[in-house]
Amino acid sequence: MNDLQNIKSIILLILGVFGSTFLKAESLKDSTNVFANFNFKTATEDFGLVENHKTSAEFFDFDDCDVCGCGSSGGSMGYGTIGDGNFVGVRYITQQYRSRDGIYNNSPWIDENFNTMQAWARIPVSQKIKLNVIVPYHFHNRQFVDETSQRINGLGDISILGFYQLISPKLDGFLPEQQTKFKHSLEVGVGVKLPTGEYDRANNEGSVNPSFQVGTGSWDVLLASNYSVSHKNWGLGVLANYTIKTENEQEYHFGDQFNYGVNLFRTFNTLNAKTFTPVSISPVLGISGEVFGENESYGLVVQDTKGNVLFSRIGVESTYGKISGGVNLMLPLSQDLNGGAVEAKMRLGIHLNFVL
Amino acid sequence: MNFNYIKTLVILLAISLTACSSDDDAVNNLGGENNVRIEFDAGVNGDALLLGAASYTNSNGESLTINRFNYIVSNFVLIDAEGTEFTYPKDDSYFVISEENELTEVLLENIPADEYVALRFGVGVDQEKYQQGAEGQGDFLQIAEENEMMWSWQAGYKFLNFEGTFTSESITEPTIFQIHMGSHGSSLDNYREVTLQLPTDALVSENLSPVVHMAVDANQVLDGQYKIELSEAAVVMIDEVKSPQISENVSGMFRVDHVHNGENVQH
Repeated sequence: MNDLQNIKSIILLILGVFGSTFLKAESLKDSTNVFANFNFKTATEDFGLVENHKTSAEFFDFDDCDVCGCGSSGGSMGYGTIGDGNFVGVRYITQQYRSRDGIYNNSPWIDENFNTMQAWARIPVSQKIKLNVIVPYHFHNRQFVDETSQRINGLGDISILGFYQLISPKLDGFLPEQQTKFKHSLEVGVGVKLPTGEYDRANNEGSVNPSFQVGTGSWDVLLASNYSVSHKNWGLGVLANYTIKTENEQEYHFGDQFNYGVNLFRTFNTLNAKTFTPVSISPVLGISGEVFGENESYGLVVQDTKGNVLFSRIGVESTYGKISGGVNLMLPLSQDLNGGAVEAKMRLGIHLNFVL
Repeated sequence: MNFNYIKTLVILLAISLTACSSDDDAVNNLGGENNVRIEFDAGVNGDALLLGAASYTNSNGESLTINRFNYIVSNFVLIDAEGTEFTYPKDDSYFVISEENELTEVLLENIPADEYVALRFGVGVDQEKYQQGAEGQGDFLQIAEENEMMWSWQAGYKFLNFEGTFTSESITEPTIFQIHMGSHGSSLDNYREVTLQLPTDALVSENLSPVVHMAVDANQVLDGQYKIELSEAAVVMIDEVKSPQISENVSGMFRVDHVHNGENVQH
């Protein structure tokens, strides 16, 4: 918990500093000036693909921190795709967990499947401000030892975030001196998660996964940041975000959550020879981690509710003209969730977007 | 135009920095009364106890298969942070816990609202109750008989009835063991009290009815602070040395694993 408090302080501090620079940054014509030293002027790179916006790859990842159903909570699966700044689309996420039903070493494990279908969008408000919206619908099930099963489904918690672009990637011109070798992008965001998903306290009882919910029932504050750097067709994305959760009406308070991730990707571009439609494909490799604080019930700490998990991530994203899609698979590398009573097994996300 | 958006963002940020620090304390105004349920979840050496199923080896080097694990718990007292004690009405405060008969829960009714931090109870039947004679035992006498927790009225209650089979280095054929521990009339008092701190406070109010989930380690009966070897004696009933030792061991087998707070908690 102390770790999480520290992380929270650091993120708040960083955001505070960024917040104050928002006003200054706006007066700059090109905020890349902030990182001017990195803008090496180099001679000719990728001449054939001048309009190669895909290489300015921003790996925008905002996790849809909706604790619920995201097993031991939110997904560091990420909000995002490579390159396409703005989009509307749908994403399906399936997550598999198992939880120990009982307090003993030989207590049985029960399987839990969390499924989410979400509509998501990244809408430009201005040149530097983007709005991210996620509207999830969850359908979860778990299988008990006595062969009975439980299903819950419904609208989840809607998240709305505003992102401000602190550093925009420079667009390359035709001339060699108008091209930059490294392209940076940094954005920070603040938002809210609304208690639109139903929270049922009964699902929190027993010794099984306390996150078997479609909503936290709470108003939560989301703080997010994404940084990416690209060089030629290679890109590296780093994300960190923090969810401050509050107590819900039923006096249950999910612990704060910190998500982080590093993703490496390479983009291959081509054109459809007949239609001249640009086509790109980007394999992604990365790691994602999640740290959870302790839950509280009626103001009292609930034992064995904190934890952390680190995932490996492998995926591929592709665009064809205005359509983009991707598949991401996450497998746990190490974990310590709920005192060992919950285990993440895998996570799979598939999305299909229309680029705006 | 853009400036307005930025202002909105900064305001949002400011809200986020200040909004979420207050923890309102709903616990302070508890009122009314409600039930407290205490679950006795039997285990053996970290595993769930499955009667007659698996065998396990204790630190005495003896391998046991447990077929019966019954005991009496009594005289429940709930204690709050100030040390104020609520004593459950004595006549209603005797219970048999029996794995084989699936009696694994104690329901304490009409507990006054409070935030309880500890629990005290007895293992067995105290002399005061026993002195009330057969008439004074009420329904409990019959319940004890039905669950094999009586020798005879003169000999008294069995506080613990622990049976099964075992093997050891010297006894290689599965052999029946019987550990029956009690007070033996009024000559030997093996009634013991246990006080347990709750890992999370138990909240009782008009609409809050907690469950105290206790882990009970059957291994402690023979393998507690005193080591009782079955190879020495497979049947221990009235033993001036071993019975008191077993009663000490038994009082050490209880631990509160966790507490669920909530209304009508489904466990």
